[in-house]
Amino acid sequence: MSYELLIFAPIALSLLIYMPTRNVGGTKYVALALFVYMFIKTIELYKQLPEHGYMLLGKFLEVKAFDFVLTLQVDRLSVIMLLLTSVLLILVTLSSWSLTKKPAAYFSLLIFFSGAIFGMFMSTNFIWFFIFWELTLIPMLFLVGIWGAEGRIYAAVKFFLYTHVASMLILLAFFLIYKQSGTFDMTLVKEAMLTTPALIWWLMFIGFAVKMPLFPFHTWLPDAHVQAPAPVSALLAGVLLKMGAYAMMRMVILLLPAQAEKFAWIFVVLGLLTLLYAGFMALYETHIKKMVAYSSISHMGLIAIAMGAMSYDSLSAALFEMIGHALIISPLFLIAGFLHQKMHTWEMGDMGGIMQKAPYLSAIFVLAGLGALGLPGTMGFIGEITILISAIESFGSWMVVILLGSLISAAYLIWTFRRVIYGEMSEGVKNGNFSMNRVEFFALLVFAFFIILFGVYPQTLFSEINQAFSVYFTGAAL
Amino acid sequence: MSAFTTLFAFGLLSFAIRSRLLLKLLSLLVLVVAGYLALNSYTLPLNGFSLTSGVALFEVVLFIVLGAAILNEDENINVTQTIFIGTASVALLESNTLLNFIISFEALSIISFVLVANVKNATEASGAVKMFIAGSIATAFIVLGAAFYLFENHPLNATLENVEMFGTVGLWLMLMGLFYKLTIVPMHTWAADSYAEIKASHAALLSGAAKTVAAIAVFKTFSPFLLQNLEFNTPILVALAIITMTLGNFLALFQKKVAKILAYSSIAHAGYMLLAFVAVKSAYASTSLLYIAIAYVFMQSALFTLIGNLKENASELSLEDLKGLGEKDKITALIFTVQLFSLAGVPLLAGFISKAVLVYAVVDADLPIVALVTLLNSALSVAYYAWIVKHVYFDEASLDYELKSLRFAPLMAQFILLGGTIYFGVFAFGVFNVAL
Repeated sequence: MSYELLIFAPIALSLLIYMPTRNVGGTKYVALALFVYMFIKTIELYKQLPEHGYMLLGKFLEVKAFDFVLTLQVDRLSVIMLLLTSVLLILVTLSSWSLTKKPAAYFSLLIFFSGAIFGMFMSTNFIWFFIFWELTLIPMLFLVGIWGAEGRIYAAVKFFLYTHVASMLILLAFFLIYKQSGTFDMTLVKEAMLTTPALIWWLMFIGFAVKMPLFPFHTWLPDAHVQAPAPVSALLAGVLLKMGAYAMMRMVILLLPAQAEKFAWIFVVLGLLTLLYAGFMALYETHIKKMVAYSSISHMGLIAIAMGAMSYDSLSAALFEMIGHALIISPLFLIAGFLHQKMHTWEMGDMGGIMQKAPYLSAIFVLAGLGALGLPGTMGFIGEITILISAIESFGSWMVVILLGSLISAAYLIWTFRRVIYGEMSEGVKNGNFSMNRVEFFALLVFAFFIILFGVYPQTLFSEINQAFSVYFTGAAL
Repeated sequence: MSAFTTLFAFGLLSFAIRSRLLLKLLSLLVLVVAGYLALNSYTLPLNGFSLTSGVALFEVVLFIVLGAAILNEDENINVTQTIFIGTASVALLESNTLLNFIISFEALSIISFVLVANVKNATEASGAVKMFIAGSIATAFIVLGAAFYLFENHPLNATLENVEMFGTVGLWLMLMGLFYKLTIVPMHTWAADSYAEIKASHAALLSGAAKTVAAIAVFKTFSPFLLQNLEFNTPILVALAIITMTLGNFLALFQKKVAKILAYSSIAHAGYMLLAFVAVKSAYASTSLLYIAIAYVFMQSALFTLIGNLKENASELSLEDLKGLGEKDKITALIFTVQLFSLAGVPLLAGFISKAVLVYAVVDADLPIVALVTLLNSALSVAYYAWIVKHVYFDEASLDYELKSLRFAPLMAQFILLGGTIYFGVFAFGVFNVAL
């Protein structure tokens, strides 16, 4: 099978599923089968990767006059992101197993999203990268707008517009790159070819900072997270934000290293502000999903700091934390959504004592929460400690200020455990039925498994992650 | 034999055909023949007309769009007039002297007036009258400008080069007149009302086909003049383009009627098209204009036709009326949404890549700030397109939902136009391999 079909087949399939069906539930099986297949193909791809650099998968739809070519090339960094994405798509599908509202449309949108996101991670032509980057917005707009909570329409439109405006800056940067370098191929562009690298850097930085998101470009995310259905929130946190971080890493750091070094302080300042601001907002929140949303944003601040450190260790730590963030925040969103579904409240004050009614679910929530606050034995700890060490190595010992972020995380998460999981059982919990669909619970177990696995054996992941960056720091040819 | 003579001859013959089905079938056949002739470079056999590969491509696109329009038509006279619009468009596109340009342009204008004069109610009459008045003013400007230009003893059968002061004034007066037709601000005021008030299928032809034909012809004719004095011409064009797209987009934001939104969107798109004139020194300028013209003619024709299909009195179709369309009529809703997304510049659709090439042409002409303003305008436009989609998909159908479902022929017409939007959104090489 040609690899371009991994992109276009899901997009076509999504329409094929949507048009003739009358929202039958069977579409979830199609989605699951497709995502498993995509995962297997990604594993195959991973096995074929060269030790360093890119592997060309093909060139399609070539327009030489504009260097508009769908160039599919992958390296270790992109394949790791593909693996993460395909795993999350499977888990999100499993987490949506009991969905009853328009299931055909819902799963067809997930399928459409999978094609677009695979295209984005596989394409090395700036324009095609941008095309897939933007295409991911369409299914998310509908997923939030149709299946979201009360304020879904405002959140969906805000998310769409906010991120679209940011994308315009990215597109302008790509055009400037083409004008100055004569190519849209990101593997051929070198910083020295550019006459206005600083302008290009800033345009891309702001564009991608919105997607990550970094303070003060984050305001679209709390609304989207809160209003989106829980599996879509997991997708937002696990995949959509990672798109921003991936692009930031690939284009703002690795493509323009001299500019990135010059403006490294921006990463540190905005990273710290994001970490602390979002942390304090999470501490203030009584709305469980908003708390998780701010926690998610806060952790993206950590990733930004690691990116700013720009060392081999720090970039590896950032990528580890990106994966960790996806695997830790997603179950928190899923459980928060489940609790709302059962109790019809988002207020943590109305919860309490859930451990007594749903001990396994509570255990997973606590485990993910402990991962988020960086408890040793979870992958959150590995991500945070490696970021801390690499930041201190690059910027000096004052970077221990990062620990303040961990302290705040510990405060709001432990307080959340107190209010939601433990404590006196509330009326809502007493009267509630917390039985969960087995498939959906299985998805949560998988998240829990990964959180512990990579917390105890981080080297299994680190050995692969390190290889993604070795080419940039050991001088191996691209 | 050329596309012009074929269409003209059939246009005359069509008055004698009574059966609507036969007329439609023959019209489609003639459009296919005309497309074949255009692709094989059969040009109008008169001095001062020629056919480039880019124009040939656009003519083929135009014939496809006119074919879709004919499929959708319900009166014989409208089919005939559509054929005549095609005839005049071919002449205008193939003209390469000022004289031929003016004659063909006026011919297209007069046929457009005849088309909209076929009114059925007071609203359509109001729209038609506004269009006549605007057209008359535009013609006055064009004639006055031509007089100034000829004052410098330029021959009418040559391209616009070596222009001096009077000639410059004359050509700018002509451009002002032409910009009336292209709905460039401040010559746009008639368009918002006219497009929204005249019959939707007529609005589709005029705001889609006629406008893009005019834009390409004006570019072909005036680009030598614009290139000659870039320092003077570019700032004026930049100002007009930015004001047009910004005002069009802002005013569209506040509309409640779908036809009005599309009318203002059409004005904003005129601003985008003007960017090709702004970037005239770029090697990508003509390709970008050709691309946005192709994309726009598919999108705009589809949307105006569609709203005419959904409601008899399309000018009254409000956003509220669209609530629940996504639930009640999946196919129509999807077509509507895809065309709207294309107008908004969503990728894998013609609207995206055409705008991308256009903005790159502006960057290539060393105007990155103008490019940024354009991109932000495009993002602004997403607000009202997304708002329409919100009504289509996110809102529940109201109890008095009364939109009509599309019959077979209009649905086929929509599929043809949708095919164009998707094809040119994915396969860009066809446009890059030709030149205007």
